[in-house]
Amino acid sequence: MPASVEIESLRKVFQRRAKRGLLSRRGNGTRTLVAVDGISFSVTAGEVFGLLGPNGAGKTTTIKMLCTLLTPTSGTARVAGHDVVKEATKVRAALGTVMTGERSVYWKLTGRENLAYFAALYRIPSRQARPRIAELLERMELTARANELVEKYSSGMKQRLALARALLAAPPILLLDEPTVGLDPQAARALRELIGSLRHEGRTVLLTTHYMAEADALCDRVAIIDRGRIIALDSPASLKQSLKAKEAIRMEVQGSPNGLEDALRALTTVESVSAKQSDNGSGTCELQVITLGSRGCIGPMIEAVRRTGHEVLHFQVVQPTLEDVFISLTGKSLRE
Amino acid sequence: MLRLMLAIARKDLILFFRYPINAVFRVVEPIMWLTPAFFLGRGFSVDGTAPGFAAYTGSGDFFSFILLGSFLGAYISAVFWGIGYSLKMEMDAGVLESNWMTPVPRFAFLVGRTVTSLVITTLNCTGVLLASWLLFGFSASGSVGRAILITLPMLGGLYGFGFTFAGLVLLIREANTLVDVSSFLVGELSGRGFPVTVLPRSLIVISLALPTTYAFDAVRAILLGTEPLLPPGAAALVLVAFMVVMLALGWLSFTAIERLCRARGTLGLH
Repeated sequence: MPASVEIESLRKVFQRRAKRGLLSRRGNGTRTLVAVDGISFSVTAGEVFGLLGPNGAGKTTTIKMLCTLLTPTSGTARVAGHDVVKEATKVRAALGTVMTGERSVYWKLTGRENLAYFAALYRIPSRQARPRIAELLERMELTARANELVEKYSSGMKQRLALARALLAAPPILLLDEPTVGLDPQAARALRELIGSLRHEGRTVLLTTHYMAEADALCDRVAIIDRGRIIALDSPASLKQSLKAKEAIRMEVQGSPNGLEDALRALTTVESVSAKQSDNGSGTCELQVITLGSRGCIGPMIEAVRRTGHEVLHFQVVQPTLEDVFISLTGKSLRE
Repeated sequence: MLRLMLAIARKDLILFFRYPINAVFRVVEPIMWLTPAFFLGRGFSVDGTAPGFAAYTGSGDFFSFILLGSFLGAYISAVFWGIGYSLKMEMDAGVLESNWMTPVPRFAFLVGRTVTSLVITTLNCTGVLLASWLLFGFSASGSVGRAILITLPMLGGLYGFGFTFAGLVLLIREANTLVDVSSFLVGELSGRGFPVTVLPRSLIVISLALPTTYAFDAVRAILLGTEPLLPPGAAALVLVAFMVVMLALGWLSFTAIERLCRARGTLGLH
């Protein structure tokens, strides 16, 4: 299969000047931020490929370089066979892109007016644009609200309209940057179903997400990215398979996570631990532990937790998820 | 390219009328500004002409002088606001990136954005002209065609200036002050509201260095019979040279600044 997207040693370094006060001369210097640190991968035609990583990992920077909004510091990236720096216009013509956030369409235009405008920018003749817009509005379930101003749309509708905009010119490759972020569960599910349907049309989709379930459900292959580097790349099943000899344990513990991680890491059978305060307001914390597969570690783990003055409320051995793969590789949670 | 620009202009026109009070105010505003100038000038007039003013310009018709200045000034603002401010509005609305990701040449984006602005300015000027003829007795006897031939290269040069301006808006992500100050200074120092010969020596040097000054001056000489700084033919040559140089410089600077913004990753910021 030919590669739709090819990235070779791609790197992006930002020089950020330190903020200075109006009268202060302190902080007069530049800070170097390596957002993407020499990543390489390729996405084959018709594949749904995911870039999975926490916020600030370099996912959006990678997408911005691919869609020509950002110039790479070094390395090469080719989209549909075109170099993103030297053949930027051809790259833009081959791409449909949805950037994160809902402000990528005009809120003071209707949904239909937005699509008509962008159809003209993609040089779709008016005679072809009208049925194409009608078809996309129908597909995105926006027909009934097509003549309303976008400012009256819900977040999910705005995101579906942004997807319709990206699909207008029937591009062979779609870049979706955190497509479901900020959506309610129902709207996110509906959008995931739409993205899933793109696979059947033979489109290549490169999406970024920090939702492991999303990557697991949608992607043929996933590259796990952290601090600008790809730390694992395979199919979701293979990545989880790599943890087969290990076990993932979820624990809910009374109190704050202070001291728990160190206490558990001290056990020889524990490979990595991630702890965070529960967001359900019950004053508990959640622990995700990757162990080396010996069930003999359960007793020592509970004992180690008790020694720190905490009480185990819930304990569960589970099938490893992509999040467990991430914890195993980085020793931290995707949401940290 | 033309279809792209018209699509951009159509979108801008729809957005313009989505704020109807603002649209109405744009029509009323020029008459509002001109009325005090008319009555102030009248206060200095003797038998309908202003002798002091005539000594500087060769014409006692101060109101027509100011009216033509305000028309040309409106076109300067239309280009500056059309390119610079609309770019900032797109940045603020978060749609600059989605526009920039389409395979449309940047040139079409920048020029397309001024089309609506120029159309509205032309409609505005026509309305003001009609109102001035009815209310203030405005009249011009010269060749309108020749005046337009002078105005066109001036507009071309201003587009070049506007391209640089667009680059600066991308770079510093601020437009209001930049547009206000630039269009005010260029307009006033070109003699929008007064004959530049009244300026002190230090300012008249700047004024005479601005090619737009010769456009204002030549258009008035052609339509009102004022005494020109340069013969209109020579002014036209200055303006054509201005247009060629500014378009080239403007485009080079815009592409350089846009490249810098893409390297810095600041295109989507506002």
